[in-house]
Amino acid sequence: MTLKKLLFAALLSGFAFCAGAADKPADKTAEPPAPPPSLGTEYTETGADTCLMCHVEGGDFPVFAIFKTKHANRADKRAPFGPGGLQCEACHGPGKKHFEAGGGPDGINSFKSKSFLTPQQRNKFCLECHQGNARTGWHASTHDSNNVACSSCHKIHAERDPVLATATQPDVCYKCHRKERADFSKPSTHAVRFGKMTCSDCHNAHGSNAAGLLVKPTVNQTCYTCHAEKRGPFLWEHAPVAEDCTSCHHPHGSVNQARLKKNPPLLCQQCHSVAGHPSVARTPAGLPGGGGGGTAFLLAGSCLNCHSQIHGSNHPSGVKLMR
Amino acid sequence: MKPSNPLLLLCALSALSSTATADVAGEAAVDMSKWKCESCKFEQGISGTADAVAGSVSDKSAEFGQYNGLYRKGAFLIGDGAVRSRNEDGTYWNLDASNLGLKTQSMEAEGGKQGSYKLRFKYDESLHRIWDRALTPYAGSGGASLTLPAGFASATTAAMPLAGAMQSVDLAVQRKQLGVGASWNRTKEWEYAVNFRHDTREGNILRTGGAFFVNSTQLVEPVDYITDQMDASASYASKKFQLKLAYYGSKFRNSNHALIWQDAYAPIAGETRGQLALPPDNQFHQVSASAGYQFSDRTRLSGDVAVGRGTQSDNFLPFTQNATLAAAAIPGSSPDARVATLDAGLKLSSAVNERLRLSAAYTHNDRDNRTPQAAYSYVVTDMFSGVAARTNLPYSFKQDKVKLSADYKVSASLRGTVGADFDSNKRTLQEVDTTRESTAWGKLGTRVLNLVDLSLKLAHAERRNSGSFLAQPGITPPENPLLRRFNMANRNRETAGLRADFAVGERANIGLGFESSEDKYSESTIGLSRAKDVNLNADLSLTVSERTRLHLFANRQEIKSKQAGSQAFSLPDWNADNKDTIDTFGLGVKHAAIPDKLDLGADYATTRSRSEINVNTGASNPAFPHVTASLDSLKLYAAYKLKENLSLQAGYWIERYSSRDWMLEGVAPSTIPNVLTLGLQAPQYNVNVLRLSLRYKF
Repeated sequence: MTLKKLLFAALLSGFAFCAGAADKPADKTAEPPAPPPSLGTEYTETGADTCLMCHVEGGDFPVFAIFKTKHANRADKRAPFGPGGLQCEACHGPGKKHFEAGGGPDGINSFKSKSFLTPQQRNKFCLECHQGNARTGWHASTHDSNNVACSSCHKIHAERDPVLATATQPDVCYKCHRKERADFSKPSTHAVRFGKMTCSDCHNAHGSNAAGLLVKPTVNQTCYTCHAEKRGPFLWEHAPVAEDCTSCHHPHGSVNQARLKKNPPLLCQQCHSVAGHPSVARTPAGLPGGGGGGTAFLLAGSCLNCHSQIHGSNHPSGVKLMR
Repeated sequence: MKPSNPLLLLCALSALSSTATADVAGEAAVDMSKWKCESCKFEQGISGTADAVAGSVSDKSAEFGQYNGLYRKGAFLIGDGAVRSRNEDGTYWNLDASNLGLKTQSMEAEGGKQGSYKLRFKYDESLHRIWDRALTPYAGSGGASLTLPAGFASATTAAMPLAGAMQSVDLAVQRKQLGVGASWNRTKEWEYAVNFRHDTREGNILRTGGAFFVNSTQLVEPVDYITDQMDASASYASKKFQLKLAYYGSKFRNSNHALIWQDAYAPIAGETRGQLALPPDNQFHQVSASAGYQFSDRTRLSGDVAVGRGTQSDNFLPFTQNATLAAAAIPGSSPDARVATLDAGLKLSSAVNERLRLSAAYTHNDRDNRTPQAAYSYVVTDMFSGVAARTNLPYSFKQDKVKLSADYKVSASLRGTVGADFDSNKRTLQEVDTTRESTAWGKLGTRVLNLVDLSLKLAHAERRNSGSFLAQPGITPPENPLLRRFNMANRNRETAGLRADFAVGERANIGLGFESSEDKYSESTIGLSRAKDVNLNADLSLTVSERTRLHLFANRQEIKSKQAGSQAFSLPDWNADNKDTIDTFGLGVKHAAIPDKLDLGADYATTRSRSEINVNTGASNPAFPHVTASLDSLKLYAAYKLKENLSLQAGYWIERYSSRDWMLEGVAPSTIPNVLTLGLQAPQYNVNVLRLSLRYKF
């Protein structure tokens, strides 16, 4: 707690300094401040041809890859470059002001993180068209609330948006979710590191009502999309298994086999204390050469050496999860 | 909290909705008469790449080769490719293929007319190689019946005639996935979609045990699964209102419903073989509706509801394989297991003014297990009948959660958010009926000197249950009355997170992060009493020069927990500490050695993990040996453009993995007198892969 209090105090000082600086009155002797940047209100005379006069191929702000994307499909009435589409200005806003200023950040929605527009204002351009299906729940989602912009993850001027490909998507997510990158480097993980699974297999980054932005309403329903053999319902259920797979497993990765949060027997002994073998303290005396007994409760599968139907049993004699 | 309360809150919030303000973009009349797009380089025709890859793997390793398919020693050939076609009328198709020739090959195709219809096809294989060299005396591995040589059964593993009987079996599961789908737009607003996925899994996995009272055997379990899944939906989207009606169906089939194995131990009560139930066929169907409504530019409401039914009615297996026992009649021919699910959510957000945003969300998740209950006069491990019958316990769960938050923008560089979450969990047939958790949290975010973005989040949560833990009458023998299961125990949780993201000009970005979560179960005398997870991370992206980019990351995580137990079935007389430490470091460099001609790159990643376990009984117990794992991976690659449409690529990958785990180390099939194991050892490998490829671009 001490460390947290120190962090809190240090940060509050920074906030106070920052807020003070923001509210500081302007120096009376200085030049009148320039008007704040704002979006233009008038469109260019020739549309994309105006933009491409400066944004040439190989320039500092290469844009030509847009013509290899779905946004540049000329037959799709919904696309910016489709019939009646506003071309570049459909997304970047009316460009005359930007053009007449000879470029620069003012007057245009650059989609950059340093833009004068807030993430919500930038996103509005995307949400004008992309609001249905998986994006219905974007508003007030974890990402929206944390001021994530669509362009924080999506590259629009790219032949292939990295966040839409299985192999390259995790690196996009790791830009913010750094702990998860470490999780997927642990000894026991899902196949994300190998490019066979990706974050959006389980999570809907555009927002969902489920915890953790899961693609299905609950953790277990999400897991069952690949692990349907564990769905049951079984005759004999193991209560925490039916409730929440993450009671025992860490889905992103762990140092233990099968992504377990802890190895048995201690994992099981967190919840099982029945008189007899479940409540016995298993010490190194049970290791080979340790001089004690009970190796069967400690080595190989430990508790699972006998109670192997840990996810539930359909056997009429399976009440102890041994059949 | 009563269900009506969240609805009232949502209504109150909606009343805060202010009138729409002018669009960010403003309004302007557009004269497009001169918009010719003559400089636009629209893509036309067919283009793509084709790669022919040849390489060599230095050693055989299941662990290295899982998921990448390079599990065999020796040479390999792979084909990769990507082809795309674009036409002026809006029709298009894409075809991507990777790892062709390996058991991880994948092909994906998409085509259609954009804005009208889309067709999808996907075929994907993945190989989960779990272990090489599992040792078993059983014949028939991979099938549903495991048999032993005559005269094998013995009193202990040491007395078994293992030497001449052991066979080596690889544990691996091959997954093949075939997906087809279509979507089409009848109007600008309506889209219909159907997707179907056929998933097969074949191979062997480790079945941790087939037990006869105190004697057990690790077995090889056959995997022959088919899962079919279907999604169908109709979606409507306009600027104000969006709606999606959907159906999801999933059907699982297992070709093997049981695994029979011969007893490797000398019979005690007439048992000569046992039978395990394998995962049963089951299905799940769900219909759902989700909708969103934009009241104004500032206020939006969305909600969803999903109703599901899951069923499982595999025929019962007999109580026992032991013909010497008189087993009772089984109640019914199948468990007729069924669950009903109801999941619903409602979310309202409103930007009250330019500074203040409010949001409220309510979710409800209900799993109602309607499986009939009956008394089962079960047989203990095919050895003992006549024990007291047990009634199955179909567990049901119901969760209601309300989340409220207010976000206030103090200035352009300072923003604060506060929130409260209320969580209610109801369970049936368990020691606790209800747990309620309240969480208060706050977050501050600021930009300092236009250089660094800082954010701090703190949260405090308190979970309380509805009363004392009451032993369930149907569960025998009972648990220690002082046990508090961690998912239902009273708990205080403190979490903190701090992030700092520096942007040093356009060239460097540095990220630093700290996360901590600590759980205290102060009323749990037996069971988990404390858990803590602390994570520190750093990230650097640097553009060294126009030709060189570098990326670096480092992470340290510590996961600690404490628990107590009672050997005397009374007050705690032992406790245990568990501590996992994981360090991860990575470095990546990309360098354009000869611009537009020769690109070089390297990626290095290393992970070290260590688990420390101490079990203290009051006597001077030594600590367990550390469980450790270390992974080092270095990839070097180069791409040289021979001609405008032809390039040569070379790669060298070396990966070393070593691990120590006392649960496996030195545990041969006969090490444990009463557990005949597969002799699986902690994984180790040291593999080099060299690959050369020629890429043709067209």
